[in-house]
Amino acid sequence: MGHLITSEQIAIDGEQLTSAPFKRAKQILGIIAIIGTIISFAILFFATDSLQGTFAYSWLFALAYALTIAIGGCFWVLLHNLSNSGWGVSVRRLMENLGFVFPFLGILCIPFLFPDVQQYLWEWMTKHRATGVDMFSSNPSRLFGFWGGQDLIDALFYKHEALLAAKAWYLNVFSWYTRFIFYFVALGWVIYRLRKISVDQDTDPKPGVARLFQARAFSAAGLPILAITATFLAIDWFMTLNYTWFSTMWGVYIFAGCALHSMVVIILTAIVLQKNGYLKNVVSPEHFHIMGKLTHVFVIFWAYITFSQFFLIWYSNIAEETMYFTLRNTAGWYWVSLTLTFGHFALPFILLLPHWMKKNVKYIKWVCVYLLVLHAVDMYHVIIPQRGPSLGLILGDDPVLWFGGIQAVFLDIFALLVVVSGFGYFYLRNLGSVNLYPNRDPRILESANLSN
Amino acid sequence: MSKEAKIYGYLAEFANAQEIYHAAEKIRDAKYSRWDCYSAFPIHGLDAAMGLKRSKLPIFVLCGATLGFITAISLAYITQVIIYPTVVQAKPANLFTIPAFFPIMFELTILFSGFTVLFGVLGLMKLPCFHHPLFNSKQFSRVTDDGFFIAIEAADQQFSAEATRELLESIGGTNLEVVYDEVVEEVQSKA
Repeated sequence: MGHLITSEQIAIDGEQLTSAPFKRAKQILGIIAIIGTIISFAILFFATDSLQGTFAYSWLFALAYALTIAIGGCFWVLLHNLSNSGWGVSVRRLMENLGFVFPFLGILCIPFLFPDVQQYLWEWMTKHRATGVDMFSSNPSRLFGFWGGQDLIDALFYKHEALLAAKAWYLNVFSWYTRFIFYFVALGWVIYRLRKISVDQDTDPKPGVARLFQARAFSAAGLPILAITATFLAIDWFMTLNYTWFSTMWGVYIFAGCALHSMVVIILTAIVLQKNGYLKNVVSPEHFHIMGKLTHVFVIFWAYITFSQFFLIWYSNIAEETMYFTLRNTAGWYWVSLTLTFGHFALPFILLLPHWMKKNVKYIKWVCVYLLVLHAVDMYHVIIPQRGPSLGLILGDDPVLWFGGIQAVFLDIFALLVVVSGFGYFYLRNLGSVNLYPNRDPRILESANLSN
Repeated sequence: MSKEAKIYGYLAEFANAQEIYHAAEKIRDAKYSRWDCYSAFPIHGLDAAMGLKRSKLPIFVLCGATLGFITAISLAYITQVIIYPTVVQAKPANLFTIPAFFPIMFELTILFSGFTVLFGVLGLMKLPCFHHPLFNSKQFSRVTDDGFFIAIEAADQQFSAEATRELLESIGGTNLEVVYDEVVEEVQSKA
């Protein structure tokens, strides 16, 4: 218990991120992102088939990394508002800014809207298109094709694609596009509104509790939208890379990664900002302690969900389900799986056990950096193993079970670098455009004097 | 007053949470070790003001958890692999059966941790305690309502009948009272 923070120590107009190094960092990230995105789009649309296909997976992997973290940011905002939390008011703006990266990431997802790119990632789309049936249906009882038209189902049966016919009520091109747009519009709107409610408070000459209740009520409506987005985005984009495979725990598995790694990013942001002289009066080791505990909780939750998914599939031993893990326990992927088991669970679990580890920024920052690297491994493990078999079939090459040729790894790293730069640019832009903490929130002093 | 009645210590009342907080800081600085604060509700930061060290409980729990983990893995491995290899659904009967052991490892780790927490807390707090000398004090019953008390035990190395009383008075303690191990009236009536 240090000295109490009083309202004199909270700047009336709040803190703004205006320093020169920050602006330079934003500029550099923006330039890397723009040049990198142009090169990436060129590869995705104009390169040779093999390169195009390989890079489509790289791009999806990089976006999986960025999108999960942004969705997690939205989750923490919603949870914070909904649970009426007082502890995190000091860091709530970081969550809001992190979540608000999500709608901007839609720009980087544009290539996925084109059949040129889709054909390498989602074979079921190619098969749907090969039937020649229009994706819209005239039947209103099938929601004009949103639930898959009868023509489409008949055509798929005719092509001996019984599995796709059975799944057509969900898995069809029209509903895929509809959901794609829904994710960015709906969750984007939720996080935009919540951030706006919060930011408007900063300049209100008579700040009250009205916005607090407004944000809480709106979050109650927003949480189902987040759940739908996280679950179905994970299914639409990652699970159906192999349309014959399914897992009922897939959505929650991806969500566990979202919540964990966005909290890690929030901790790192708070550390970097404090190091540069911001958030000094409002964020204390107590906040890092709580955020460290939440990170620890989600390290366990991630392991619990990931293992449960593996365990149920391993036990029941049904070929349609085991293929995911058969692929990932073969050749070099076996070592990636083991790395995740020990590196993504066992090591951080032990590292985050002692309380001084969570409270002291000297230690927790290294754990956070480490976890972010492991998140890349996790997403790599989700997306990339499918590349060898899929491209092998589509392009007629021999299936490649390992990384798909050594040059492919560099493409993956390049894609990750570009997308993370873009992510960083949007994040810094969000951080720089508003106050760093909600200085007129009624509970800012409660949060600044946190003790747990 | 009988000589049989052993002194438990001094009990002093304080006006409010703020006063008891600052009083605790002074007693901590006077290097007392066997004393405690009593209030009807938790006071934030009082543990730091009292100079309380972190509990040893986590270390016990870590030992309990490790013991549970080892018990589980030996129980499963010895019975299912070494003594009686169980082949189900073409699963291997060797170290790679380990996913099947995970639920047991998980549960026993939690169970043993839970037991260590429960019995560790009881042990460290010296519970169950059917009677406490402080209940001999009439005014102490107000601690569940609006009283803030500090009791310094006579068993403390620093304790002295004069100096401790002066300390408690100087830091704002009122209704100073000597608390005995047994109820005084009873002892007196015996004598």
